[in-house]
Formats: sequence, structure tokens, C-alpha cells
Amino acid sequence: MRKTLLVAVRDYNAAVRTKGFLIGLLLVPMLMGGGIGVMALFEKRVDTRDRRIKVVDHTGLIAPTLVEAAKRRNQSEIYDKQRNRQVQPRYLVEVVPPNDTDPQALRLALSDQVRSGELSGFLEIGKDAINPGDDAEAARIAYHAENSVFDNARNWVVGPLNERIQSIRIEASGLDESTVRRLTRWMPVEPLGLTKVDEATGKVQDAERNSPLQVILPVYALVILMFVLIMAAVNPLAHSILEEKIHRITEVLLGSVRPFQLMVGKLLGAIGVSITMVAIYAAAGLVTARHLELSSSVPYHALPWLIAYGVAALFMFGAMFLAVGSACNDLKESQSLMMPLWLCALSPMFLWFPVMQEPTRSFATWLSLFPPWTPMLMLVRIASPVTIPAWQPWVGLVGVALFTVASVWAAGRIFRVGILMQGKAPRISEILRWALRG
Amino acid sequence: MNAVEIQHVTKTFGPVTAVDDLSLNVPKGSVYGFIGPNGSGKTTTLRMIMSILLPDSGTIRVLDEDNAAAYTDRIGYLPEERGLYGKMRVRDLLRFYASLKDGRDVKREVDRWLEKLDLTAWADKKVEALSKGMSQKVQFIASVVHRPDLLILDEPFTGLDPVNTDLLQQVVLELQAEGATVIFSTHDMNVAETMCDFIFMIFKGRKVLDGTLTAIQDQYGTDTVRVRIEGEPRALHDLPGVEHITDRGQVQELRIAAGRDSQQLLAAIMSRARVRSFELARPSLHEIFVRIAGPGAEEASNA
Repeated sequence: MRKTLLVAVRDYNAAVRTKGFLIGLLLVPMLMGGGIGVMALFEKRVDTRDRRIKVVDHTGLIAPTLVEAAKRRNQSEIYDKQRNRQVQPRYLVEVVPPNDTDPQALRLALSDQVRSGELSGFLEIGKDAINPGDDAEAARIAYHAENSVFDNARNWVVGPLNERIQSIRIEASGLDESTVRRLTRWMPVEPLGLTKVDEATGKVQDAERNSPLQVILPVYALVILMFVLIMAAVNPLAHSILEEKIHRITEVLLGSVRPFQLMVGKLLGAIGVSITMVAIYAAAGLVTARHLELSSSVPYHALPWLIAYGVAALFMFGAMFLAVGSACNDLKESQSLMMPLWLCALSPMFLWFPVMQEPTRSFATWLSLFPPWTPMLMLVRIASPVTIPAWQPWVGLVGVALFTVASVWAAGRIFRVGILMQGKAPRISEILRWALRG
Repeated sequence: MNAVEIQHVTKTFGPVTAVDDLSLNVPKGSVYGFIGPNGSGKTTTLRMIMSILLPDSGTIRVLDEDNAAAYTDRIGYLPEERGLYGKMRVRDLLRFYASLKDGRDVKREVDRWLEKLDLTAWADKKVEALSKGMSQKVQFIASVVHRPDLLILDEPFTGLDPVNTDLLQQVVLELQAEGATVIFSTHDMNVAETMCDFIFMIFKGRKVLDGTLTAIQDQYGTDTVRVRIEGEPRALHDLPGVEHITDRGQVQELRIAAGRDSQQLLAAIMSRARVRSFELARPSLHEIFVRIAGPGAEEASNA
């Protein structure tokens, strides 16, 4: 045990006391949060230059309303009042008389104006748009732009346009518009949690309102923590054993320690590094949650499970990667041999969302009881707001524990043979044979 | 009393028999040289003594112990290829290796050895900054710093300059004088001849030589003649009673067939050329090695 710990402490120090560790510590959240951050950044960095839009209105009844609606919007909806600055572009709507003799010529002329940058787009409202008949062409409302699918002006125009059409229809039918509006008003359905009794006061508490963010964010944070926990251990582990093998360091070490001691020592070292990293992230996460007054969303009940499953996952995947790393002679070999392991370890990253949405479905239950995926998927089910049967996390834990013991045992046998093997790359079948026959 | 006792040990890797029914005793306090061509089973034998590898059959007893766990810490091992963490500082690395061996007074011993091998100035440098020769000295310290009873050195002097070679040879002999048993493998026959009390040669997994240099040379007798003649060495071709000629430039080495008289050979040579020198000699270890493992031996064993 003393020698195992010596190996573990050396590996831990070699990994933590480097610039690489600090860079990695910053890089992981940057990569993880990077996608969200970039999207948020782009969302804020809206092009606020004026957008000129021309409207060809064959009904003659809608365009003036759009001009007015655009003016109202330009006055009140495009400013961030707190920061007192413009955050959306102004829409400058102009009305163009239709060319009934040659509509295509008008469309071409307007398209050319868009191409030259003079216009952002143009809207054409068919003559039957208010009361569509059999002539689909005459009823069509079309927005033309270079990228009309993602053009925000098209999204905006839908609102005032339909409101105006409805008003015209209601007026034509002789009904009172305010009555119709009141009768056809849509009602939202609020997402609330369950009411419960406050243990301190004994009173029934109001159910909490659930926002999608409140549900997804904690689960996502746990998934990412588990992902980082596994990645921070297995990747450096596989590389370090390969490097030690290539530089013949393992041969020196094996002159002093048993292969199993060496393997477990390296595992403990890497697990220590990984836990250090995740502890820093978890602490930072909790502090941030408290700062943002989101503490009530933190799934504290899932944290002990994160630790239990996390440690098991580290031993399980760490041993597997170490075994395969020990059998390889260079980086290229290890990359191809580790591909199946990577797929196995990363698959839950593609499955966590559907599992979170319906955690009690048999699909989610069975996936979360498959030992290599239990640490991540069972954790997702535990952290989701839906209550899952209490026995399932425990059965999952027993399954993971048994699978972990088997993995470490098999890895020890592979490691013992692989670590001294030089020359040709072993096949997967050979590695499995070492595991079974030693 | 033996430091190592190997009894009928066989080790195979798949279809390849690396060591075949090997028996060998290494007396305590001796310097034992392992020689043999590349791939003949030297390193496998050393690894089995270290219990890094386990034999398929047979037994190995080391320092009066059968259980590897009981003697691992009493062995020092210098592998053929250097295995050092490049990013570690020399002193930290040596302390780590010494601690793994349960060494005593680790800090003091490390500093003493660094000073002895003239590496104190490099103690706080990273290993990757060292030259090849210095790395080798660091590796050597790693194998001796815990005062082992048995020192196993795989090619310890390769790549060292003459000054450092002399230094390490001196240290090895000092350790022997202090009571340590030393086993080392080498391709340098001169080193084996001058340093070893016993020489063991393994070829294709089997023991082919084992004993003192004198005893080994006695097996081959005085069958070698070193001749210097005036003119072309071709004059010596096809001499009766000569089995093999090795051209060593200025000197020609002739191996006489068993039962042939060297005086008759001298007369035959003198009839062909003027002789400058004619010396009867025992075969060198180099010569014996080549006879066993050289291309001629391959052909002879295949015939």
C-alpha cells in the first residue's frame, strides 16, 4: 500500500503542479460554456443598422398599418432602457404601389435593390390575403430577402400583419372587435412543481414555479461535472502510462512495485487530480448559485450520488483506459484501440436530455441501469424533478460497484501482460484473451 | 552460498521459447557477466530474476528467498533503456525511486551519490536537461542508492565516455567489495573479461557457456595462432590444418584443427611468406562468442 500511495502521490503532484493543470482548469469551462457564451454574445451583438423594407400591398389595406407599427416599434421596443442604448435595428417601412401589368418586373427591380444593399427585403401581400380563396398565388404573403429564413424582420412582421388582417375580417363580419379579442384570448399554462408540507412549520407550501432553465441547468451542471470528472482522469491516465511505457519508465518501476500496485497507484493519482478539479468547479458552481440566488435550484440530494457514482466511474473507466494504454506502443495505436472505450464513455452525453425529459420511462430506466452509463444517466434521473423509485439508484450503485470491481480485476490482468509487451500492436481479441486468461 | 539460484527455468512468449531449461547459480559477492547476442534471452532472464516476469516452469530463488515480495527491495536494477521522468528534478526523482525501494536515509544517500558521481550541480535541474551520459549516471544512482544486496545492470556502460565508464566500473567493484553481488549484461567482451568473476553466455534461450574466463578458455584449448607476415594475407589461404582465418588487419588469427601441430603450420607458412611474428594463444572471449553465435556457427548448426 505504501508503494501504491507513493506512485499515486508522485503522479498527482506531477499533474497538479504544472501550468497545464491550471490551463486545463480554465479551458474546460471555457469549452463547455464557450458554445453558450458565443451564442449569447452573438445574440447581444445584433446589427443595429437601419433596415429598409418595402411593402407591395395588393389589398391596399394592410401596408399603412405596418408603417405605423414599425414607427411604434422604433420608438419604444428597440432600446435597452436600463442601459439607455439601442439594441435592435430600426425598421423603416415604405409602401410601393403594385405593378399589376408586370409584377415580375417589380419583384426583379426590388430584388436588385436588395442585392445592392439599398433595401433589406420586401414584403408582397397578395390581393386575396385577407380572405384567401382557391387562388393560392393571389392569397400569398411573401417576404423576399437574401436570407429570408433567418431574417428577424420577417418574424416581426407576422404579428402586426395578422392583427390587421383579423381586424379587417372582424370589422367585415359586423362583430365587436374587443368582444372577439376577449373571446379568443389564448391562456398560458404555468409550469409549477408539487405542493409540499414545510417540515419546520407544518404548513402546506405553495408550489414553486419551474422555468425550463431551473430544471435543465442543474441537471446539465451535474452531467458536465461527471463528464469532466471522467475526462480529467482517463485522458491523462492513458497518455501517462503510454509515455512511461515508451520511455521505459515502467520497467524501472516494475523493479520495485508489482504491476497491480503500479496500476492502482496511477489510478489513485489520476482520481485525485480529477476530484481536485471537480471540487474546484463544484465549489465555484455553488458560490455562483448562491450569488445568483439560485440555491433553491441546486439538487443537493443528488450530490452524494455524484460522489458515489463519480468515484466508481473513475475506477471503472480509469482502469479500462489504463489497461488499453498499457497494451499500446504509440499514440496512434492507442487512439484506435481506445475508440470503443471513448464511445462507451461518451454515449450518455447524447442520451441525457431524453432521459431527463422522461426519467420514469422504461427506456430511461434500463439505460440508467447499464453499469457503464449508470453514473451519468442515473444521476440525471435522480436530479430531475420527477421522483424515481427509491430502489433504482441503489441497484444502479450495486451494478456499478460490481462492474467496477470486474473492470479493475480484468484491467490488472491486461496491464500485467501489456505493460511489458513491445513491438506489434495487440488486437482487441488479444487484449480480451489476456483479461480472461491472464 | 548463492545470491541467485535458477533451476530448470523455461519461459515462452507464444510460439517463441525465450529461455529454455536454464539452470544457473550466481555465488554471493561475485560479479557475473551475462553475454549473448541480441534476442538470445538475456533480458528475459534478468527480468525473471527481478520477478518482473514469471517463469512458465522451474524455480528461481533470490537472496535465499522464494517470495519475490521479500527480496524486491534488496535488488537494484538498471534497465537496458533508460527510464527516467523527464519533467522531474534529478534529486526528487532519485528520492522517489529510493523511497519505492524502502531505502533508508534517502535524502542523505541521494546527495552522497550525486556528489560521488559529480552530479551535485545538476541536482535541481530537470532530467530532460541532462546529456545522455549524465542521464545514465542518474539511472545508475537510482539502481544503487538503496544499498542493494544484488545489483542487476543491463548494458550499464553503453554510451558512456571512457572517463565515466572507468568511474562506473570502479563504483561497481567498490559495491562488490562491500559485499554486493553484481550481475550485468554486456556486449563489450573486454569489459566482461576484465571485470567478471564468472561469465555466462546464453544463445537462443539455452546456456552455452558458464564459468570463470580461464575455465571457459580451457574448454577451447590453445587452438589459436596470431600471425604477422610480410605481403598479402592471401598467402595464408588454404593452409592445411587451418579451420578458420579471421583477418584483423595487421594480424591474421588462425584457428588450428584439433590434433594438428603448430610447428608444422609454422613451417607451412614460412614456405609461403616471410613471418614477422607467430604467437600461440587462447581464444579471446570475443572469438569464443563469434564461434558460438557468428554466421559460421549458424551455418554449422544448420548443416
